[in-house]
Amino acid sequence: MADSDEEYVGEVTEDEDDFQVTHNDRTRSKRRRQRGGAEWELSRTWETLVEGADGTISSTVDGLLEAGKRKRLLKDTTPLQRGIIRHLILILDLSQSMSEKDLRPTRYLLTLRYAQDFVREFFEQNPISQLGVLGLRDGLAVRVSDMSGNPTEHLTAIQALRTQEPKGLPSLQNGLEMARGALFHTPSHGTREVLVVFGSLLSSDPGDIHQTISTLIGDRIRVGIVGLAAQVAICRDLCSRTNGGDETAYGVVLNEQHFRELMMDVTTPPATYSQRESASSLLMMGFPSRTVESSPSLCACHSKPSRGGYLCSRCGSKVCSLPAECPSCGLTLILSTHLARSYHHLFPLINWVEVPWRRASRSSACFACGLPFPPLPPEDQWQTAENQTKGMSASSRYECTACQNHFCIDCDLFAHEVVHNCPGCQSKNTGAGVPNDGMDITA
Amino acid sequence: MNSVDASEHYELGTTDLAPSLLTVIVDTNPHAWAALEGSLPLSRAIANILVFINAHLACNYANEVAVVASHSHKAAWLYPVEQASTENGSADHDGDVTMNGDSDGTAATTTQTNKYRPFRIVEEQVNRNLQALLQSTAATEVRGNTSTMLAGALTLALSHINRRTIAWAVEHGGADLEDTAAEVGTGAATTSGNRFSATGSDDERLQSRILIISVSGSSDSAHQYIPVMNSIFACQRLHIPIDVCKLSGDAVFLQQASDATRGVYMALAEPRGLLQYLMMAFLPDQRSRRHLVLPTRVDVDFRAACFCHRRVVDVGFVCSICLSIFCEPPPGNACLTCGTQLDPGDYGATPALLPRKKKKKKRVNGASATGTPISTPTPGP
Repeated sequence: MADSDEEYVGEVTEDEDDFQVTHNDRTRSKRRRQRGGAEWELSRTWETLVEGADGTISSTVDGLLEAGKRKRLLKDTTPLQRGIIRHLILILDLSQSMSEKDLRPTRYLLTLRYAQDFVREFFEQNPISQLGVLGLRDGLAVRVSDMSGNPTEHLTAIQALRTQEPKGLPSLQNGLEMARGALFHTPSHGTREVLVVFGSLLSSDPGDIHQTISTLIGDRIRVGIVGLAAQVAICRDLCSRTNGGDETAYGVVLNEQHFRELMMDVTTPPATYSQRESASSLLMMGFPSRTVESSPSLCACHSKPSRGGYLCSRCGSKVCSLPAECPSCGLTLILSTHLARSYHHLFPLINWVEVPWRRASRSSACFACGLPFPPLPPEDQWQTAENQTKGMSASSRYECTACQNHFCIDCDLFAHEVVHNCPGCQSKNTGAGVPNDGMDITA
Repeated sequence: MNSVDASEHYELGTTDLAPSLLTVIVDTNPHAWAALEGSLPLSRAIANILVFINAHLACNYANEVAVVASHSHKAAWLYPVEQASTENGSADHDGDVTMNGDSDGTAATTTQTNKYRPFRIVEEQVNRNLQALLQSTAATEVRGNTSTMLAGALTLALSHINRRTIAWAVEHGGADLEDTAAEVGTGAATTSGNRFSATGSDDERLQSRILIISVSGSSDSAHQYIPVMNSIFACQRLHIPIDVCKLSGDAVFLQQASDATRGVYMALAEPRGLLQYLMMAFLPDQRSRRHLVLPTRVDVDFRAACFCHRRVVDVGFVCSICLSIFCEPPPGNACLTCGTQLDPGDYGATPALLPRKKKKKKRVNGASATGTPISTPTPGP
């Protein structure tokens, strides 16, 4: 950890001579950014608390809550080209260091729980993607579940790990090599990704891991790591090299909540870096209809008798669930709804803007849910109120720039994270043209 | 339903089941209702729906209802409307409830004094707002417009459900959405680990469901496809069933909506029986439905329409970048939506000809021609 040593020296020189301060500050801030989520060291939340007029801090606390919601919400809405068809290998550390209890109940159990959440959320967000799970135990890479598009298989496989105990040392290299093998045959139009949950501070490898990293780059495999203990140099190196110099793929968890956030961030399809990275292609897919038979018949995928199912639109084999690959002719079978599920990544809803008091008089209640907004204060208080609130709207109103309706923070959050629709834009026919002020709620 | 049954009454006091919120989306496209005039005029349909709403409110004293109109050019709230909220029990700034709620009702209050108050409030507001909505509709807006703003209505309904769920959780302390996220996932059986997802125990939160009374076709609402699908997925995530009661028209998305969210889909053969259908099929809430055999449609049309010719396909081609569906490889192999140059793979490749066959032909055509490796040694000019 040469990193921390350097920083310590830097702080000493800062004390010694003043003219180096600016220089040091810059390098230090840069370094801090690279370290991921270590900003908490210097944030003193109690200093931002201001007593309200009534002598309580409830208004500030409410403001902080709202600012927190808002911060989580603001994201880049540039319509990036994203890798919607993903192939991801999830590598779980199952070594001795996972039995630590610094994350409750243990690192091991929490990781398994979040891994299950991750699998569910991953298929929710990426319905036509493939996932596989590996484990690092006793110096070996163990296959937990094979690459497949069926979440239940992964969930049961991860559930089965609960009865086992973490054991031995992990080998990052073995895990990466096995993941590389699993991703080797995947088609070029999809992404190839590896997500490692790494609880150890070492990797006992049989060979040169740098060589493995070079082959991963050659195979266009991106690696992301969630570290549970502390930052490890080889992990940072691995993430930055396989992601084209971008180190944000490596995060070290601060607490349980941060752990979860880091894992869930990976469920969003990654932006495609360049055209040549993934050759786009036209995929042939079948859209089967559901059938219900009078007598049970065996399905082609599991050979289990069932009455319902989907018939492959090319060869007529019966599969029991979608999305799937036809076991007999290899055609990808999906529902059109699976495709539609990914559309909100491709056409994201624009961020809503904060409304200053000046324009706030237009609305008295949230357009979508009818929650009344706080009334307008006298004009001379506008400036002070707006200075107090950072990262949130002073008037508690948020405006969609397309339809110019005002919404509350909860609807803002709900619209951007769950529905991905703007209630205002969808409620008005754009073809009608005439702006109608007679909307029941805003009037 | 349980609360109606007297034998369950004492048990109810101890368990205190969570109330349910019913959101009714009424399609009010004037064209479609004009076509239905002979069998079921709008006024009678609204009366039937109001009876149904009253039945829902009567099931549990804490049950709630919301009504959204999905009109031809906009979606609007019919109930609750905040502007007239002084009478529906919501407090003003001092926390007092104003007591003169009857004064601004347009309905003749003298005839309705004996009506149960929650029923009357809903009826008055729905009638008044619907009238205002229909009167504000200009003839030009209606002309040739046979679609309905379903996406907007669904989004409004979902926003309201979200608001009520948060409020209910705050009031009752129990299932706070933020906290439940941490609890979800302990068992393998729970379905989704999202922040907004349902708790493992469904009984402890506000039960919400959406009922869509559909009359107009959605054939020209192709531009609404993505928003409608987004709303459907949101419902699926939040475990909100979408029930569909189709009076006329052809609602393609709605079949998928009720199927994806495990709601009830019914196409009424006889619109005059609306109230009966509503009472029998749509009144039970999620808890009661577990014990019932529900009328569901088994053959759901899942086929996709291609983006190029609007043909319904069962084998199609999908652009790997924007996921557009085509019925045949697009001209020039460039995606019609995003313009990406696509590699069609092996599709449409003609079978490779055997090179020997070609050579044979060439030799026959020009026997004296040079170039074939076999013939080089023989001819010697």
